[in-house]
Amino acid sequence: MASERPGPSTYPGRPAISPFTAAPQTTMPFLSSGLVVGSEGSGYRANTPAGFNGPSMSSPPSAYASPNLGTYQRFPGPASTQLISSANGPPTGQPVLLPPVLPSTGQHVLAPPGSFHPQPQIPSVPMGQPPQSLNLQPPRGSFPSSPLESSFIAPRPASQSSLHGYPTRQANLVSQVPPVQSPPFLAHQGGYVSPPPLAAPVGLSSREQMQHTGGGPPVGGIQNLVEEFQSLSVGSAPGSIDPGLDFKALPRPLDGDVAPSSLANMYPLNCHLRYLRLTTSAIPNSQSLLSRWHFPLGVVIHPLAKAPDGEEVPIVNFGPTGIIRCRRCRTYVNPYVTFTDGGRKWRCNICSLLNDVPGEYFAHLDATGRRIDIDQRPELTKGSVEFVAPTEYMVRPPMPPLYFFLIDVSISAVRSGMLEIVAKTIKSSLDELPGFPRTQIGFLTFDSMLHFYNLKSSLSQPQMMVVSDLDDIFVPLPDDLLVNLSESRNVVDVFLDSLPSMFQENLNVESAFGPALKAAFMVMSQLGGKLLIFQSTLPSLGIGRLKLRGDDPRAYGTDKEYAIRIPEDPLYKQMAADFSKFQIGVNVYAFSDNYTDIASLGTLAKYTGGQVYYYPGFQSSIHGEKLKYELTRDLTRETAWEAVMRIRCGKGVRFTTYHGHFMLRSTDLLALPAVDCDKAFAMQLSLEDTLLTTQTLYFQVALLYTSSSGERRIRVHTAAAPVVTDLGEMYRQADTGAIISLFSRLAIEKTLSYKLEDARNFIQQRIVKALREYRNLYAVQHRLGGRMIYPESLQFLLLYGLALYKSVPLRGGYADAQLDERCAAGYTMMTLPVAALLKLLYPRLIRIDEYLQNASMKIDDFGKFSKSLPLAMQSLDSRGLYIYDDGFRFILWFGKMLSSDIAVNLLGMDLSTFPDPSKVSLSERDNEMSKKLIGILKRFRESNPYYYQLPQLLRQGEQPREAFLLFANLLEDQSCGTSGYVDWMLQLHRQIQQSA
Amino acid sequence: MAWELLLWLISFFVSIALLALVIYQLICLSDLEFDALNPYDTSSRINLVVIPEFVMQGALCTLFLLTWHWFLFLITVPVTFYHVRLYLRRKHLLDVTEIFRLVNEEKKYRMVKLGFYLVLFFIVIYRLVVVAVTLLIDEDVDMHESYTF
Repeated sequence: MASERPGPSTYPGRPAISPFTAAPQTTMPFLSSGLVVGSEGSGYRANTPAGFNGPSMSSPPSAYASPNLGTYQRFPGPASTQLISSANGPPTGQPVLLPPVLPSTGQHVLAPPGSFHPQPQIPSVPMGQPPQSLNLQPPRGSFPSSPLESSFIAPRPASQSSLHGYPTRQANLVSQVPPVQSPPFLAHQGGYVSPPPLAAPVGLSSREQMQHTGGGPPVGGIQNLVEEFQSLSVGSAPGSIDPGLDFKALPRPLDGDVAPSSLANMYPLNCHLRYLRLTTSAIPNSQSLLSRWHFPLGVVIHPLAKAPDGEEVPIVNFGPTGIIRCRRCRTYVNPYVTFTDGGRKWRCNICSLLNDVPGEYFAHLDATGRRIDIDQRPELTKGSVEFVAPTEYMVRPPMPPLYFFLIDVSISAVRSGMLEIVAKTIKSSLDELPGFPRTQIGFLTFDSMLHFYNLKSSLSQPQMMVVSDLDDIFVPLPDDLLVNLSESRNVVDVFLDSLPSMFQENLNVESAFGPALKAAFMVMSQLGGKLLIFQSTLPSLGIGRLKLRGDDPRAYGTDKEYAIRIPEDPLYKQMAADFSKFQIGVNVYAFSDNYTDIASLGTLAKYTGGQVYYYPGFQSSIHGEKLKYELTRDLTRETAWEAVMRIRCGKGVRFTTYHGHFMLRSTDLLALPAVDCDKAFAMQLSLEDTLLTTQTLYFQVALLYTSSSGERRIRVHTAAAPVVTDLGEMYRQADTGAIISLFSRLAIEKTLSYKLEDARNFIQQRIVKALREYRNLYAVQHRLGGRMIYPESLQFLLLYGLALYKSVPLRGGYADAQLDERCAAGYTMMTLPVAALLKLLYPRLIRIDEYLQNASMKIDDFGKFSKSLPLAMQSLDSRGLYIYDDGFRFILWFGKMLSSDIAVNLLGMDLSTFPDPSKVSLSERDNEMSKKLIGILKRFRESNPYYYQLPQLLRQGEQPREAFLLFANLLEDQSCGTSGYVDWMLQLHRQIQQSA
Repeated sequence: MAWELLLWLISFFVSIALLALVIYQLICLSDLEFDALNPYDTSSRINLVVIPEFVMQGALCTLFLLTWHWFLFLITVPVTFYHVRLYLRRKHLLDVTEIFRLVNEEKKYRMVKLGFYLVLFFIVIYRLVVVAVTLLIDEDVDMHESYTF
């Protein structure tokens, strides 16, 4: 439809607008019909305008009389692809055109919406938008006359011709930008969601049109289109979309993360994608090619990802032979090495050196050159294996799993109930701590003094030793502060039972955090291990005390802004480095509702492979479950101790930057004192040689660690990827999830030395540059004119980019997120695996009331029945019950008109009459509906086990909770100063075109 | 004239020391790059000599000011100023946690400083020689004069 742009002379419809805009009070239907003329006029060729204008002028009123205002909201896209087909077909009288056009639209317009029902949505009340959009009519007056229009005119002739020249290609391309997209319009949009009003009626008509044609033989119904789209998607290069014209047609990742499978198909011996994902499965062969790929080139590695049952990583023990590795590059033997010389030599796939096969490992080759024993050798058939490491891989005997708890017992910790929950949770997890019977454990509590505990097994009661000299920390007892859990189990039990009551009456408000940290370091430095810090106030005494510095709104927007996001006291970095050096991994649990300087505390976790858990305003009655689950998971999940990780790759390529929670011990060695199955790492690579001569590039990740059972092991993941010479191929093979994962890490790191705005612009610029480059690949060839195109593989990238833009660490300014929350979210996102990150960025929104009410549906049907909805206000119907799931919490949104028996069944009361829904908690009740809901929640939790999702109840219209809990996260809507999905697309499109 | 000679001798030794310190830091950094040194050792070694270097450089600058050597003072004062600024912002020490990300910058910064110290070193040598020679010639002249008269 881009091709449909009228030449300058074909603007007859335009003037028609001005009369309407001149009278801003025009009613909606009237206005829209008037506008239809304008936009349709623009959709016409020069030869038809007169003929077409007439009917369209008259028909719209009747056609649009029935839908209410809300419906207009629903079809905000100005000129959808469908519109083109529809608008085009009748007037030009070229039915021949229809089939190619429709399938094409199907590719982008139909397929995604296929998953959310347009029909049920129509009646929904759009939550107060109609008045807004009505109010805002005056500004509209400004856009038809905007200067930008002229800029759209230029490409038109070209694209018009393309319609004739490439009818099928047309299908792929998305339509032109209508004049509506002028910047003045965008600038005015601030308040209302509905995109150019011009579009609304058009979208409607197109939909109707589609329904008409849908029955016709050439089109064959939506289902066909979807299939066609899927089969097309494999080969067709330029995916394309109508830039923001049809809201519903925009691509959305409603199925969550879908890892591209092409690489796995090409190299079946690769390790599974859950362990290693490349940002593109086609490696550029030259630096000049790489410089045109504006996304990061790298990998996201999740070395200990939990494998489903039956796919566990096989363990290989070479025994006395030692591990087979390349002499030169130290690559581990893997499925891609080749055996030659009758099996006596093997060639390293990374550096192509010929190595000798040790005698014990020798096996004859069969006629095809395969080793005859290959079936018994998992290291030669599987991309992921675990080698048992002999003593050469140890600098000291494998350490026992060691947990040390540093617990704040000041008044706020006691009052919030944190202390009690922590003590109980630790006690209940004792049996499941990994590494029995070698596990060691120790405790240290602190307020203005440090309390050490002697847990010696011969004691019946733990002995407490208090150190009050904070300037000169010493450890009062050389050993017995860290004890073997199985030997001292009774003492530990007694201690944990008495811990909450011991400090029941504590009124101390101070926190000697720094000295306590030093003391913990002294206790642990012999062995290393895992240090869990529970902190509920701002450190106020001794070294490492911190100031209340986060409350200053003036810092935002200045060049000094970043300073509040980095540790205030260099001591924290120094301590983190020391912890890492002595194999201590730190996890920080922070609880305060006041400022606790997560930026500083989190540094400890950042460089030690740890994690930051943040519970703002912790109340044991509300957040207790969450803390309990997350602490239990932290304590019981499989942990790799004193680990180091290295990634090797072929000649000419080098990994240069690493992003995540770790410390670099040498240029390419990541030190991970304690790493577990919930941590992912990202790294970028650069080409050293100007030209790669190999056809395939191999990557090998090796994680050397001590398992909880005390065995030294090396987990090796090997992957291969083709080297290509074609930029288009790189884009086609791109992996949105990995790109976004790297982007988020890069952007968060940027916030540590620049303004938030710079970090956001960074993402936007990179996306724009990349798409411009892609566009340049095809624009000339296919005369794309004003369309926005992107590869199929990146169809969700733009939305994720927007999501990143609005994510907690990067969004807005001072008022949009509390500093601590920002920092905590930043630390979290730096470690999240790809799937969980994407889930956090584009959460799931599902309507569940129908499912709950329908007794015939069982929990097993839920997967089939439930459909994720676009994250926009329009998806919410006031008669529905919705669940919003971002992997960190559930928000249950009760519509105003939701039948009250659902609420009664679920909560035991009528929510609409209850004064404060934030106080209501969800628990299983003895009725079918409640059981079903709990079942759903359980299922959702299983799909994202990293964190506990605490259900929060929300009633429609309950301000201000609704606004910041849910509306701020409906990222496709416009919210305070940020653009919605449609505008975002328009904005990007404009930028892409600017110098294209 | 003898104090002049002394001043240049002091400057000479100080600039040699400065050169040595910078070269030492550069060696540490390249050792780190080639994996011969771990980040902890590198940063502690370098951080150990940062303050002495700053102090020496500052002392040299003050010395030039006090002895009214405008040209050399103006050459050295920007560096002193830069050092003071780094120190006040607490950015003078190497950050062990981010050392690999910073290593290239840090090397460049020290290379520039090395170049600067070299220039300073040559100027100082030149002045030293000039002063020494004039002193000798003067003595010569003195002797000669005393001889003739």
